[in-house]
Amino acid sequence: MNSPFASAIADVVTSAAAQPGGCEQEAMLARVGQITRALHDRLRELGFDKVLEKATVEMPDVRDRLNYVARMTEQAAQRVLNATDAAIPMQERIDASADEILGGWKSTLAAPFSEANYRDMATLTMQCLADMRKDTGATKEQLLEIMMAQDFQDLTGQVIRKVTDLAHELEQQLVQFLVDYAPSEIRREPVSSLLNGPQINPAGRSDVVADQSQVDDLLDSLGF
Amino acid sequence: MADPNTKFLVVDDFSTMRRIVRNLLKELGYSNVEEAEDGADGLAKLKAGGFDFVVSDWNMPNMDGLTMLQQIRADANLSKIPVLMVTAEAKKENIIAAAQAGANGYVVKPFTAATLDEKLSKIFEKMEKAGA
Repeated sequence: MNSPFASAIADVVTSAAAQPGGCEQEAMLARVGQITRALHDRLRELGFDKVLEKATVEMPDVRDRLNYVARMTEQAAQRVLNATDAAIPMQERIDASADEILGGWKSTLAAPFSEANYRDMATLTMQCLADMRKDTGATKEQLLEIMMAQDFQDLTGQVIRKVTDLAHELEQQLVQFLVDYAPSEIRREPVSSLLNGPQINPAGRSDVVADQSQVDDLLDSLGF
Repeated sequence: MADPNTKFLVVDDFSTMRRIVRNLLKELGYSNVEEAEDGADGLAKLKAGGFDFVVSDWNMPNMDGLTMLQQIRADANLSKIPVLMVTAEAKKENIIAAAQAGANGYVVKPFTAATLDEKLSKIFEKMEKAGA
């Protein structure tokens, strides 16, 4: 689509570059004013003012929603880590008790028969089993806690779906706007940065690795 | 396994990830672990001395992991400390940049306990060979 804005902007830019004098500057400012006015009118005609209004209302809401997701996931992670911190020592105690009983019976069986030894071992075994039962019960509680900590998934899933829907809608409107009005010379420069965060979709890309083995292969191939 | 008293510094801006790495290290037999919340904090703690090993994230506020790594390598007192990068940055240019800056290993998130174990062992092995 041949856009009047595109050519108007191009005119202003070329004239400003060619003649940076005082009089031309005023003319340029006037021209920028006209473009802004025209742009504003066209936006209204096309209903984009509604879109922008919606964006200003919905963006802070989106920010709140994403903060909520961050908060919920962090809470869940903390709950799970607390549960494992509590459960691991119990498992270690159960392990140690089993070792103690096993070792005790081995030496009792190896030694000449003595009723007193057997009685001692029976007492020790019963004591250990009682302790183990306590620890297994408490471990199970921690496992349930880990399960319950996953309840964030349902809540954050709903919130994220709303945010992606909104982002999609805004994206479509803005893309349409660009398609209609961007001067053809404007090309998107690929942004090169080393701070990109997790790769959401590495499939089909040759500039990112998809897993650890590809990291290892790359480093190997470079001799590191 | 290397010396169980090996003192680790875990640098990550997310406390959850620091806890996970700390727990994994404990599971692997290393319980002498301290934490730092970004590169600047990490570098200050390293300069105070006593650390044998650094496990660092890349993308952090104040100072990122790559900058910290470069500063470690540029500091005569710290330059020999092994640094393992554990990061979500998965672009090939990131991996190459880290290797060129002197990282001893690169683990991409999400990672498993086995991967961390393998990379640590490999680094300790290389250090022993270099020391022998």
